[in-house]
Amino acid sequence: MTTLLAFINNRAVRDAFWQAVVAISVAGLLVYFVRNASDNMVKAGIASGFDFLGRTSGIDVPFVLTGYVPQSSIAALLWVGVVNTMLVAAVSIVLATILGFFIGLARLSSNWLLSTLAGAYVEFVRNIPLLFFVLFWYSVVIGALPQPRESLSIFSIAFLNNRGLTIPVATDGTALRWAALVAVLSLLLQVALALYAARRRRLTGRSLPIGSIALVTALLIPLAAFGIAAAQTPWEIPALRGFNYRGGFVLVPEFVALLGSLATYTAGFIAEVVRGGIQAVPKGQIEAARALGLSSGQTLRLVTVPLALRVVIPPLTSQYLNVLKNSSFGAAIAYPEIVSLFMGSALNATGQAIEIIAITLAIYLGMGLLVSLFMAWFNARMTLVTR
Amino acid sequence: MKHGAPVSGLGLLRQRLFATPLDVAITLACAGILWFTAVPLLKWMLFNATITGASRSDCAPGGACWVLIRARFDQYMYGFYPAGERWRVNAAGLLLALGIAIASWKAMPLRGPMLAAAIFGFPVLGVWLLYGGLGLPVVETRVWGGLMLTVFMSVYGGLLAVPLGILLALGRQSELPIIRTLSVIFIEFWRGVPIIAVIFLASLLIPLIMPSGIGVDRLARAVIGLGFVIAAYMAEAVRGGLQAIPQGQREAAAALGLGYWPTMRLIVLPQALRISLPAITNEFISLVKNTTLVLVVSIFDLLGIAQAAITDPNWAGLNKESYIFAGAIYWIVCFALSRWSRALERRQDDRALKPSAG
Repeated sequence: MTTLLAFINNRAVRDAFWQAVVAISVAGLLVYFVRNASDNMVKAGIASGFDFLGRTSGIDVPFVLTGYVPQSSIAALLWVGVVNTMLVAAVSIVLATILGFFIGLARLSSNWLLSTLAGAYVEFVRNIPLLFFVLFWYSVVIGALPQPRESLSIFSIAFLNNRGLTIPVATDGTALRWAALVAVLSLLLQVALALYAARRRRLTGRSLPIGSIALVTALLIPLAAFGIAAAQTPWEIPALRGFNYRGGFVLVPEFVALLGSLATYTAGFIAEVVRGGIQAVPKGQIEAARALGLSSGQTLRLVTVPLALRVVIPPLTSQYLNVLKNSSFGAAIAYPEIVSLFMGSALNATGQAIEIIAITLAIYLGMGLLVSLFMAWFNARMTLVTR
Repeated sequence: MKHGAPVSGLGLLRQRLFATPLDVAITLACAGILWFTAVPLLKWMLFNATITGASRSDCAPGGACWVLIRARFDQYMYGFYPAGERWRVNAAGLLLALGIAIASWKAMPLRGPMLAAAIFGFPVLGVWLLYGGLGLPVVETRVWGGLMLTVFMSVYGGLLAVPLGILLALGRQSELPIIRTLSVIFIEFWRGVPIIAVIFLASLLIPLIMPSGIGVDRLARAVIGLGFVIAAYMAEAVRGGLQAIPQGQREAAAALGLGYWPTMRLIVLPQALRISLPAITNEFISLVKNTTLVLVVSIFDLLGIAQAAITDPNWAGLNKESYIFAGAIYWIVCFALSRWSRALERRQDDRALKPSAG
């Protein structure tokens, strides 16, 4: 009896017992669900498997960057969704970062009016659902744009109207590809120079004006390369024919609405991240830098920014991840991204609910995992090494 | 900006707006932005707006036309809930107010039993009032809508997410590897996928995995989907609080002979939840905002009703008014919640600075 009691009260035994209970009930629940699902699918006459990906989709997509046509396969349709998701997320991230950075700095301004305006903006966008902004942009902002005949002209090469934003396209991309190659090489050169400069400073204590060099290699050379390439490239400029623009590439209103709402909404969150990062830099660090004789520019570059960056990068990455996930709000206005194309159109056409849901979730989880891995790597690199 | 001797009146104005030439330029630019945006907006929304009237023809040009909101106010609040039964929605709302009052009145006599009754009894009572049965005529969830549905999803989503989130946070901190792994998988899975996909998933998958014959209500599916995702985020909010509790607290409890659950219930959770309350509130705000996504499965919450109102040909062209009315309600609710959360945080900071006062 006492041995039995001792056995029951043994901590290791109890831990193993409760873990087994949890594991068995979770597994049991899963088996139960899967059996129900397969029963229901047999009853509904749905075949399982991933063969449907090779079938012809027959779905017309209004906004395609890949070579997709309705005769293409469902896998090609999925790829259209992935590309459209990436496109809107990438452009939103760039715009939101720029806007958010300025709003965050404005909130810290000593000018009362500027900081109040920035604060009002942040409180405004953060407390309203994103879907509100998406619908509002789609219905009100795009609706307020003029007819194609009265388009808003942007330097006479791009035209904004209620059918979307028409932009010029290159009919021959060779020069632009060369420019991209030059830009990448120039950036690699900058990375190599930065590594060399860091090594030299460690060994000899002398520093290179790496900031000014970066201005040339990372900004001037790529800009010049693209500028020359753009001048050499034959462009197809959209022109008004009849009731609409012909030529060029049309960014559909759904894209413009989703981009506008995602960028302005996320900017409010990024502004808070930036503000938090700058406020997190201890005042003493800046005072110490000034006491050592660093100029205010050097203080900003060598002390404030690296310290603020450590605080800013993790929440900033999670905001970027949010943009990626929030691009699915496009489903509410039928922007052809992953959820609306694949979980919507393709699922309606094929009925393969489980496979389609699994693929969609796997794509998002995979993208999220990549970003998380990058973050872990970055954090490990950036952690302050106390000497 | 140098902070010297205290200045007042004009001096303060000068210091804050016109200290340097750059400051003057910034101030003027901001004033210009306000003049060209806020002033016309105010004119449109208030001064030139039409407030009285009964139909589209009463709308005056050049200003907002709030007549639409007046005419359809009940729909914004109750959706298509039958007019004769709307007292039930109001009663459920009162129940919610009573529950909040009980939760926030610290010195109430018999607080413990009352709180338990509110937490376990009121949700059941609320569903009975809204859905019906047992003497009340049944009102299908299909006709629920508007603000009432937004509040319903927020409250019941929260009731699902908070306990589940606490359990997941405890699981993630657990020393038992299987429980920890399962919790981590659950949390990271739901945090990694878009909520809109989860709502699709819940509405498609739940009927599929249930034995045939057992139907789960469309609205219930959406609430379960929302609740699961928010629970994963809640778990991370609670984890922050758990990590702030010194290990010594648990060791002291163990030394006193308390087991795992008594330690958690009496020592760790009361402290951890107090610390994570601001973060939990922020997740709740995000839940309120994300209830709008049920639009994609054709459930008409406040934003859905606002969108449906503008498709009515009798009220064509009033998109702005309808959306702005709905948006303003969301803003007021979320702003109030975020202020409350910030006040909680400040109170905790004060307490941390003066340990003797706590």
